[in-house]
Amino acid sequence: MVETIRVNLKVNGKQYVLDIPPDERLIDTLRYRLGFTSVKEGCGRGECGSCIVLVNGLPRHSCLTLTATLDGAEILTVEGLAPEGKLHAIQVAFLETRGVQCGFCTPAFMLLTKALLDKTLDPSDEEIKQWLASAICRCGSYHYYFKAVRKAAEYLKKGKILFDEKEVRKNLYKLPLLR
Amino acid sequence: MKPLAGGTELLLLIRDKKIPTPKYLLDLNAIRKELSYVKLEEDKVRIGAATTLYELSQSILHKDKRYAGFVDVFYGFATMAMRFYATIGGNILSATQYNDYLTLLTVYEPELVLVSKEGERRLTLEQLVLDKRKLAIKPDELLKEIIIPVPPENTSSSFMKFDRRRILIAGVVTGAVLLTLNDNVIEDVKISFDMIREKRVPGRAKKTEEFLRGKELSEEVVEEAAEKILPSEMERVSDWWTTAEYRLDMSKVVLKRNIFRAARRIRGGK
Ligand SMILES: Cc1cc2nc3c(=O)[nH]c(=O)nc-3n(C[C@H](O)[C@H](O)[C@H](O)COP(=O)(O)OP(=O)(O)OC[C@H]3O[C@@H](n4cnc5c(N)ncnc54)[C@H](O)[C@@H]3O)c2cc1C
Ligand code: FES
Ligand code: FES
Repeated sequence: MVETIRVNLKVNGKQYVLDIPPDERLIDTLRYRLGFTSVKEGCGRGECGSCIVLVNGLPRHSCLTLTATLDGAEILTVEGLAPEGKLHAIQVAFLETRGVQCGFCTPAFMLLTKALLDKTLDPSDEEIKQWLASAICRCGSYHYYFKAVRKAAEYLKKGKILFDEKEVRKNLYKLPLLR
Repeated sequence: MKPLAGGTELLLLIRDKKIPTPKYLLDLNAIRKELSYVKLEEDKVRIGAATTLYELSQSILHKDKRYAGFVDVFYGFATMAMRFYATIGGNILSATQYNDYLTLLTVYEPELVLVSKEGERRLTLEQLVLDKRKLAIKPDELLKEIIIPVPPENTSSSFMKFDRRRILIAGVVTGAVLLTLNDNVIEDVKISFDMIREKRVPGRAKKTEEFLRGKELSEEVVEEAAEKILPSEMERVSDWWTTAEYRLDMSKVVLKRNIFRAARRIRGGK
C-alpha cells in the first residue's frame, strides 16, 4: 500500500491540494506532477543549485526538500514570475545583458536574483556574489549576471515590473553586440 | 524514526544508503517556530535547535565581536541558498569532523538541552558527541536548545576553513579559537580543530591551550605553541583529499591566524 500525505501548496499563485508519497522530492512534484519544467536537476544533492526555487520567498534546493514537509507553503518558479505574454523585469534584464547562454542554470539564477532584490534593491557586489554563488553556471555567464542583477534593480526601482514580451524581443535585436 | 530538520544531511545519508532508510521521518517543521530563536540573557545566549543559519546571521551572534566566529562559519558554509534552511541543531547532530558549527561551538563549551516525554536533561558537547555519527541522544529525545555562556568583554573568536575553494568544501583543515586577553596577556584561550586525535569529530587542543594560558601574546609564543605543542597532541590522517603532513602544517597555520585574528578583533579590528 502506498501511503500518501495531503499537502496544500500554492505554486505560482495557484492553489493545489496534492496527495503525495512521503518520500517525494519537491523537484519531482514540480516537474513531473505539475509540469513546471524550468526547475532543473543537476547534482540532486544540494551542490549545483540548478533546482533552486523560492519557498515562502526564500531560495531552497528542491532536490533536498520533501514536498510532504511543505503544507501551506508558497512556491515560486520562473513560470510564475510573469503572466503569459509578459516578462518580468528580471527576465528582461537577463536577456538584455546577454546573461543567458545555454539557459540550463538561468531559472535558478533568476530566482536567486528575485529573492535578493526582494530584500534590497541596492545589493553590494559582495551580496550579489554571496547569493548568486548558490548556483553553478557551466557556461560561465557569471560576469553577465552581475550586470543583470543591477539592471533588474534599476527597472524595479523605476516601478517597471512587467514588460510586453513581443516588445522586448523586438528590441533585443537592436541591442549592440557585446564586447 | 529520525527527526527531520533542514534535511541537508539526513536526506543525503538516506539517498547514499549510508544509513538504513528510517521507517518514519519526524518533520520538525510543525514546531520549527518554537525551536527557532536566539535569546540573550544576563550570562547566557540561548539558541533554539531548529534556528536556521540565516536566522543566526540576523541575531546578536553576528553583531557582537565575542561571537565573531559565527560570522566566519556562516560565510564559509555550503552556499547562501542552503543557509536559509539548514539548522544549527542539525549541524551538531550530524556529528562529523566536517560540521563547522560543531567545531566552533566546541570552544564556547555550550550546554545542550535534550527533551523527551521523561523531561529535560543537559549535556556538554563532549558528553553528547561521542564519535563520528555516534551520539548520546536517545531515539525518543529531541535537541531543544544550545546554551552558550556569555564570554567576558575582552573576548573574541575566529574560525577558519582551509581548502582550495572558499565555499562548497569540507575543509582540509578547520579550526576555531576563543581568546580572552587582559591587556596583552592571554587570560584564557580555547582551541578546537575538526579532529585532534583518533576520534573523527571536532576536539580541543588542550595542551596547547594550557601552554598559552597566562602568557604574554607574541609572535614567538604563538609560534612555539603551533610548532612544538600542537603537534604533540594532534594526530592527522591522510585521505583522498590530502596527506597527514600537509594537514598538520596547515593546522599550525590555521592556529596562528585564528589567534591573531581573534586578538585583532578584541582590539576592534577585523
Ligand atoms: C552541498 C552541501 C554543503 C554543505 N556544506 C556544509 C558546510 O560548509 N559546513 C557544515 O558544517 N556542513 C555542511 N553541510 C552539512 C549540513 O548541511 C549541515 O550539517 C546542516 O547544518 C545540517 O542541518 P539540517 O537542519 O539540514 O539537518 P538534518 O539533515 O535535518 O538533520 C541532521 C541530523 O540531525 C538530526 N536532527 C536534526 N535536528 C534535530 C533535533 N532538533 N533533535 C534531534 N535530532 C535532530 C536528524 O535526525 C539527522 O540525524 C553541507 C551539506 C550539503 C548537502
Ligand atoms: S540538483 Fe539540487 S542542487 Fe543540484
Ligand atoms: S547558461 Fe549554460 S549553465 Fe549557465
